[in-house]
Amino acid sequence: MPRIWSALHVPDLPATPRTGLLYNPPAMHWSDVVIESLREHEVWHATYVPDAINWQVLSKLEADPAFTVVPASREEEAVGIAAGIYAGGGRAAMFMQSSGFGNTINGLAQLLTAYRIPVPLFIGMRGGLSEFNEVQVPSARPIPAILDTLHIQHYAPQREDEVQKYVDGAIELAYASRMPVAVLWYAQLVGAKRATS
Amino acid sequence: MQRREGIAALVRRLDNEPVIANLGPATFDLYAAGDRDANLYTWGAMGLASSIALGVALAAPDRKVFVTDGDGSLLMNLGSLATIARQAPENLVHIVWDNRMWYETGGQPTHTSTGTDLGGIALAAGIRNVARAATVEAFEEALDQAIREPGPWFIHVDVEETGEPRQRPKVIVEENLVKFRRTFTG
Repeated sequence: MPRIWSALHVPDLPATPRTGLLYNPPAMHWSDVVIESLREHEVWHATYVPDAINWQVLSKLEADPAFTVVPASREEEAVGIAAGIYAGGGRAAMFMQSSGFGNTINGLAQLLTAYRIPVPLFIGMRGGLSEFNEVQVPSARPIPAILDTLHIQHYAPQREDEVQKYVDGAIELAYASRMPVAVLWYAQLVGAKRATS
Repeated sequence: MQRREGIAALVRRLDNEPVIANLGPATFDLYAAGDRDANLYTWGAMGLASSIALGVALAAPDRKVFVTDGDGSLLMNLGSLATIARQAPENLVHIVWDNRMWYETGGQPTHTSTGTDLGGIALAAGIRNVARAATVEAFEEALDQAIREPGPWFIHVDVEETGEPRQRPKVIVEENLVKFRRTFTG
């Protein structure tokens, strides 16, 4: 079988005895994999409008003095701040929930795409398996098609042992292509929110 | 006073400090005052000029960062004032030229024409230093204070439109971004 991913991007998992599972259990939680990838690629800033999925990453970033984390009032604003951080010589990732993706479009098109500003976008996807809120469904479902139309590449790891190669790969692709690249977190990987809170 | 008088006063005080210009007349007038690598012109993404400037201010805390914004654009992104107040970057100077109209689309009156006070909103949002100016002298005084003293600063400037034709700057946005970023990364 040909290897689609170069050896550089194969997760560095500890040696484990054969478990009978289809894949080796991951060494780290997916959120820690994201943080280490941001660190590796010197993405020291993150902008966001919170969601329960990405908060698993963001809460740890906020506690880590190496990172500066900037909450915005609206998703398009978070895109603008991330663009400014790059323009000012830094690197920023942007985190949002699928329900707020629609708020970003003008910034994605007229700023990130037009100016060729690389920003890794992390989108917590509602509206899929086990969704209880019907309103989440129509805003999440068209996101991959909208990203395609905007010529923004997007990737969705489904298993924890895929997270490192997807996140490393998306961040490298963003800076090499000088374009935003999106990573979508679906319930298959991160689980689904319960109806009660 | 006119916007271009204010922009001329700003540019006279600059060395390598970045200036982010809102789309439309703020970008046209900044370019007309003399193109420089540390100018970032916007042509769309209306409302985001102050967000971009906040990002630049956070990435480059050792440089004073200026944004020249407009009333119509800021009204589209008022949340930016709260976000700036929360981050409170001492190096950010947010200048708003308030002509009380959407100039580029034909001069339709904006909400500031009926009394909405952007300086008051900035203050209520928690911006520490808010100054107001309606003359070049008052603007220069506020600007000098904003350069001297830590911010964030919000300078609300009443301007009159003269209706003079403007030359559209010949700027390629990708090139603009690359040159602007190099003023930080070398």
